[in-house]
Amino acid sequence: MLEIENLHARAGDTAILKGLNLTVNAGEVHAVMGPNGSGKSTLSKIIAGSEDYIVTDGRIRFEGRDLLTLPPEERAAAGIFLGFQYPVEIPGVSNMVFLRAAVNAQRKHRGEPELEAADFLAWVRHRVKQMKMDPAMLSRGVNEGFSGGEKKRNEILQMLVLEPKLMVLDETDSGLDIDALKIVAEGINALRSPARATLLVTHYQRLLDHVQPDHVHVLSGGRIVKSGGPDLARELEEKGYGWLDAA
Amino acid sequence: MMLDNIVTAIEALPDVSAARRAALDALLRLGLPGPHEEQWKYTDLSVLQTLAAEDIAPNPDTHEFPADYADGLDALNAALAGGQQHRPIDGQVRLDTGRHGRYHLTVDGNAELRLEDAGDTRFATCFITLALAPGARLRLTRVLTASEAAHRITRIAISVAENARVDIVTIDLDARFARHDLAVALDAPGATAHLYGLYAPAGATHLDHHVRVDHRAAHCISRGYFRGLAFDRACAVFNGRIMVHPHAQKTDSELRIANLLLSRKAQINAKPELEIYADDVKCAHGATFGRLDPTALFYLRTRGVPEAAARALLTYSFANEIFQHIHPPELRSEITAKFLTRMDGGAGITELT
Ligand SMILES: Nc1ncnc2c1ncn2[C@@H]1O[C@H](COP(=O)(O)OP(=O)(O)O)[C@@H](O)[C@H]1O
Ligand SMILES: [Mg+2]
Repeated sequence: MLEIENLHARAGDTAILKGLNLTVNAGEVHAVMGPNGSGKSTLSKIIAGSEDYIVTDGRIRFEGRDLLTLPPEERAAAGIFLGFQYPVEIPGVSNMVFLRAAVNAQRKHRGEPELEAADFLAWVRHRVKQMKMDPAMLSRGVNEGFSGGEKKRNEILQMLVLEPKLMVLDETDSGLDIDALKIVAEGINALRSPARATLLVTHYQRLLDHVQPDHVHVLSGGRIVKSGGPDLARELEEKGYGWLDAA
Repeated sequence: MMLDNIVTAIEALPDVSAARRAALDALLRLGLPGPHEEQWKYTDLSVLQTLAAEDIAPNPDTHEFPADYADGLDALNAALAGGQQHRPIDGQVRLDTGRHGRYHLTVDGNAELRLEDAGDTRFATCFITLALAPGARLRLTRVLTASEAAHRITRIAISVAENARVDIVTIDLDARFARHDLAVALDAPGATAHLYGLYAPAGATHLDHHVRVDHRAAHCISRGYFRGLAFDRACAVFNGRIMVHPHAQKTDSELRIANLLLSRKAQINAKPELEIYADDVKCAHGATFGRLDPTALFYLRTRGVPEAAARALLTYSFANEIFQHIHPPELRSEITAKFLTRMDGGAGITELT
């Protein structure tokens, strides 16, 4: 589903990714772990189409299509979702307006008819309930005055409403207490299917106890330096990241 | 400044009263304010010379004329409006500010005054004084959505007596040239004024809004929240001045101005000014200037919203902080829709709101 080959990217004069390779097949959950500053968010944002980075070499393909030439909105319509490490507050635009704008735009791009307002509302309410959120949040501004944990939950709500094919979740576990972590994990697991794939980008093992990955990768120095099964995550949790540099 | 077009237009009236002639003489004697004056630094009234005499369109009605004039503009308005109408207002009242007019209105109870100008007249001046009696309540809404050729000058002065309260919303969207002066005087203890305003010129519009709040007595409250947006080649000027007079102890005042520049060729000159002559007061003010947040744009786009629509949505988000204070809701929807349809990508959002 997602093929990243020899990806080199920089922001301004700083080279961040230096030859990254990663293949994620449909139905799989991959975890990308790495110390702070190793380029995890950079990788996530480049997949989603951020203009903050310049790709100097390599390529990314999604379902066989060259992704790098597509603007972020077209990647979204193709089925890519990025859960932000730091979700953005948009006061004055309610969560409901935001969700409708997103769903309508994606459907329009795919040539599908818009949903009836009542059907859409019912659909969103169902997802809100699933995330154990207060339906009153729908009329509040997007992430306006939300705590860190509420913002992360809202990311997963948006994901459940949009039902993407590829879920890229950047540190979605940080800032969550244990109850919220479970709800978020359930949300992610609810979308797991043979047709979808997940890329969990995280610093910690925590979320991986609830969302079992098939593959674990370590990102360091702008490249994947080690890959393995779920055991690798546990090993990293015990030993930290230092031993990898020595190895 | 040459005022031939104005003189010609007034002389062409079927009947020019002595009082109107006196107003015209006062105008010619006083002249119009010029760019050397602090309050007119960014707005040049010589633009009025570009109007043809037939576009001046003085109001042929005659009312009572005042004995003297504050300045040349005051005399100009009286000469064109044909004097001043006095009336008490109560309940809902609408005035069309797209024609020359001059009013002195008094509020004893509860009034809602809507000043609307969606006109296509080339030129209109509208000067209004409002006096609120003790305990009176006024909700004032002024909306400018005139044609691209419209030139507008308004002056609104409100005096607020003991425990009276005024709630003001001003929305300025379309015109060619507009200058508004809004002055609120809190004259007695317990007087309160809440002001919300949006100025959002587009195209080649020049829009100037001068707001002044005078705290003349102790224990008065004022709140001013203004937002400015400039599209295309438009120029917005905003000046907000809070004056706390001696003896106005326990004044509680806040003035916030936020601005968003939406094009490289657009300009905004916005400034809050605070003058305090009492010592026991609480006054806060500030102004910010920004552009659309690229991270927020990216966020929306990753959800599938195309770039133009994402820009429109964020711009709406900024303006909505003021729109949400528009009353009644039908007027709010109408103005929001007008605002959104001016932007590429805005039309789709109208249906969502
Ligand atoms: N927009 C940017 N401009 C400049 N440097 C950046 C930018 N984004 C990230 N970096 C730098 O790239 C490195 C990797 O950052 P990031 O991808 O956020 O790491 P992680 O998410 O793994 O903590 C850091 O050194 C960071 O300072
Ligand atoms: Mg990060």
